[in-house]
Amino acid sequence: MKAPFSAYLDSIEPALRRLVGILGEEFEYVSVLSTDSVGFQLALSQHSKSVTNQNRTTERGSVVRVYRGGRYSEYAFNEFDPEKVTEKAAVISSELQKQFALLELCGSETLETPILDDEPIELFCEKEAEILPETADTAKLIEALQSVSDEGVRTIPGALDCQAGGSSTHISKLFLSKNRTMRQSYVYTEGMYAAFAPSKEGEMKMVYEGVSGLCGPEILFTLKEKIREAPKIMEDVLGSEKIVPGEYDVITSPDVTGLIAHEAFGHGVEMDMFVKGRALGADYIGKRVGSELVTMHEGALCAESVTGYAFDDEGTLAGDVTEIDKGILRAGICDALAAKRLGVKPTGNGKRENYSHKVYTRMTNTLFDSGSDSLEEMIASIEFGYLLAGSESGMEDPKHWGIQCIVSRGYEIRGGKLTGKVVSPIVMTGYVPDLLGNISMASPDRCVFGTGACGKGHKEWVKVADGGPYLKTKARLG
Amino acid sequence: MFERLKEKLEALRPDGWELTEVTKHGWEFYFIRHQLDQNRAVETRTYNVKLYRSIEDGKFLGSASDALSPTMSEEEIDRRLAAVWEQAALIRNPAYTLVSEPVTLPGKNDPIDVAKIAQDFIETFRSVAETGEEDINSYEIFVSSISRRFLNSNAVAYSCVYPSSTIDLVVNARHENHEIELFRFNTCGTCDREKLRKDVEDALRFGKDRLIAQPTPKLQSGAVVFSTADACEIYEYFLYQTNASLKVRRMSAYEIGQPICEKFEGDVLSVEAVSSLPNSSHDYPVDEEGSVIEDRYLIRGGVAENFWGTRQFSQYLGLEKSSNVHNAIFSGGKGDAESVRSGDYLEVVDFSDFQVDPMSGDIAGEIRLGYLSRGGKILPVTGGSISGSLPAAVPTMRFSKETAQYDTLVIPAVTRLENLRITGIAELEE
Repeated sequence: MKAPFSAYLDSIEPALRRLVGILGEEFEYVSVLSTDSVGFQLALSQHSKSVTNQNRTTERGSVVRVYRGGRYSEYAFNEFDPEKVTEKAAVISSELQKQFALLELCGSETLETPILDDEPIELFCEKEAEILPETADTAKLIEALQSVSDEGVRTIPGALDCQAGGSSTHISKLFLSKNRTMRQSYVYTEGMYAAFAPSKEGEMKMVYEGVSGLCGPEILFTLKEKIREAPKIMEDVLGSEKIVPGEYDVITSPDVTGLIAHEAFGHGVEMDMFVKGRALGADYIGKRVGSELVTMHEGALCAESVTGYAFDDEGTLAGDVTEIDKGILRAGICDALAAKRLGVKPTGNGKRENYSHKVYTRMTNTLFDSGSDSLEEMIASIEFGYLLAGSESGMEDPKHWGIQCIVSRGYEIRGGKLTGKVVSPIVMTGYVPDLLGNISMASPDRCVFGTGACGKGHKEWVKVADGGPYLKTKARLG
Repeated sequence: MFERLKEKLEALRPDGWELTEVTKHGWEFYFIRHQLDQNRAVETRTYNVKLYRSIEDGKFLGSASDALSPTMSEEEIDRRLAAVWEQAALIRNPAYTLVSEPVTLPGKNDPIDVAKIAQDFIETFRSVAETGEEDINSYEIFVSSISRRFLNSNAVAYSCVYPSSTIDLVVNARHENHEIELFRFNTCGTCDREKLRKDVEDALRFGKDRLIAQPTPKLQSGAVVFSTADACEIYEYFLYQTNASLKVRRMSAYEIGQPICEKFEGDVLSVEAVSSLPNSSHDYPVDEEGSVIEDRYLIRGGVAENFWGTRQFSQYLGLEKSSNVHNAIFSGGKGDAESVRSGDYLEVVDFSDFQVDPMSGDIAGEIRLGYLSRGGKILPVTGGSISGSLPAAVPTMRFSKETAQYDTLVIPAVTRLENLRITGIAELEE
């Protein structure tokens, strides 16, 4: 079925259009993004259960963007009476005037920026979903997730608890400007289990796996397949040793490959960082940053994932950018304002945490292209190294091209064979061009993972997905 | 709408309910260098509703919640509340009770002047001394006045207004063609001009040192000193371990009346949850369920004294009086900062993302700038990482008697952990 566009947004569209018109008498450019997204979040464990109809992406509100004399300003709100549009316009104007007065008092100058393009676009997009979160059978979902938790505790050696959870959001967004009317609705869902068990030394260990997709809550029923792999993973973690710090040949499993894609040349080519002179990538367009095997794509059109939208939060159509082509850095991703400042076209990567937050250049799907080497061939090629699995977290450093990835476990390889020895946890660090330059093999897989969230620095959390194949490279592990 | 929702909740006759209205008036300013990138204003109001449902004659208490928007129609609100009521029947948690003790908040809720706070931030950033070699790249200022109004089915009610601010700062240092950056992210109540200026100047100084930093040598292991906001990660681990939810889920080994480690060879840890902490971004003495936050030790002299948490988990542990914790003060150690820095150590003042796992205590972080002290010499270093286990480091952990405040936490200004793994990137020169 189609995920229907919000009736509420349809009902306020004429009033919002009037608001754009009234503000348009005072400002040279006006747009409004309105959202109405409903969903749920469930969490089940052996000790507690919870259900709420709010999650990180449920929201209802609007944000107006205005432009005058080279300066962009925004006003976000969630109280709106379609009968009082003139009054709302006056409130917006008045509040922004107060801010302008303060800026003048402080002697602040403006980074003058050209006016945004507003070529006519009419778009209406409703994507498919089997089940909508607002009409899902909550009892069945709770039963399914509870059974995942129960099975985890029953089958995982020494498990003290196993939490199973899921969230699903039916997103509706309306973008209006003088010349654009864009409406989209889609559903995305993610689920996970996290099981906990103490090691012999008493240290608490966790194993975690997830599922996600551009789909309804039906995907949560597939968690029962994931939990069957949990006992072996926990056994590996509980029996693990600490790694001897050093540089090793490594094979990254597709989830770790995705983490590298995200932290290395995801953040590294967010072009709002170019505007600030914060990304080394700006100086490397057209230059080699990886081996011949490295081709990387980024864009909402790259995969039907949790971030598979039709247009971004600035009314730019979704794209598919080839960031790296056979090792050569070709292009970055860009929101509309940064694009104006850099004199390039926006790529459909302007995203907000929610309607009340600012737009930044953000990732969507960040994926390494596949290769032709089998995992077996990759393992056989390593004299001493590790197969890394279980991505936990990462951090970007676009200015210096450092990378930090926290990985759950490393499976030792000696003489071309897995030895059964496991090390955990692992901090993988390195210099991005070295890490990508040393990629010497890639498998035919193309896996996409969308259970994570991405921050800009330490805030502005948005949904992203990443992935790719198994890759062989060299990395510093600690 | 608050009154309207209250009437609807009373008419539904659930076995309990909580209603919270949160209003935010925010001003935001984004600067690149000192030029305005964008200014923003935010005016939002949300209503959080939680319904409770007694199951099997009070053996279980179900609950479900929703966030309602002020633009919802009567029909939509009724439909959402009905759905929440149905969902509450699906959640079978062992019974517990809602807050029933009345709340009396000290003082009155004076309005917050977001314009004045924003002005303080902007003027302070503009007043920092910059040079051609060290300067501010960009900064973001978020200032909010937040109003909370709470009511539950036991007629427990409170309202409060408090300021909450965040700054996001990037500084650069450069020499010829080599340029580096450092990043700082801080939250607080309002602008403390003197503290902010010192933080920015410290960041600029660190930036200058990062320019000349050498690759971190392959030390393998050693003492690591923490003297910036990253140290909060270390101390937050102890807060997590005294959380009732973790204890109920058997993920904390702490026991009331028992020491948190077998033997203290370094400094002995104490932490007190406090009802008020000036200039914290959460300086209000009542939690989200209406429980009054009282001053009380969670760990005293290295011995676990209290757990903290929600009503549900606190009652599962049999705690008569408990609440969530907004602010906490960790006591200082025996020696001063200089004594903590004695001997050989690596002091890391800038990480990519320093993390301490709240359950396992696993430590991890990539080094962006550290100061390696060996044989009386101090060398700025960069690259590589540290890792280790905080529970294993607690017995020999040392911290200064001087303390520093980072938003909701007061912690020792300088903390030292022994025997962490240090993964360097250059050969060690003896």
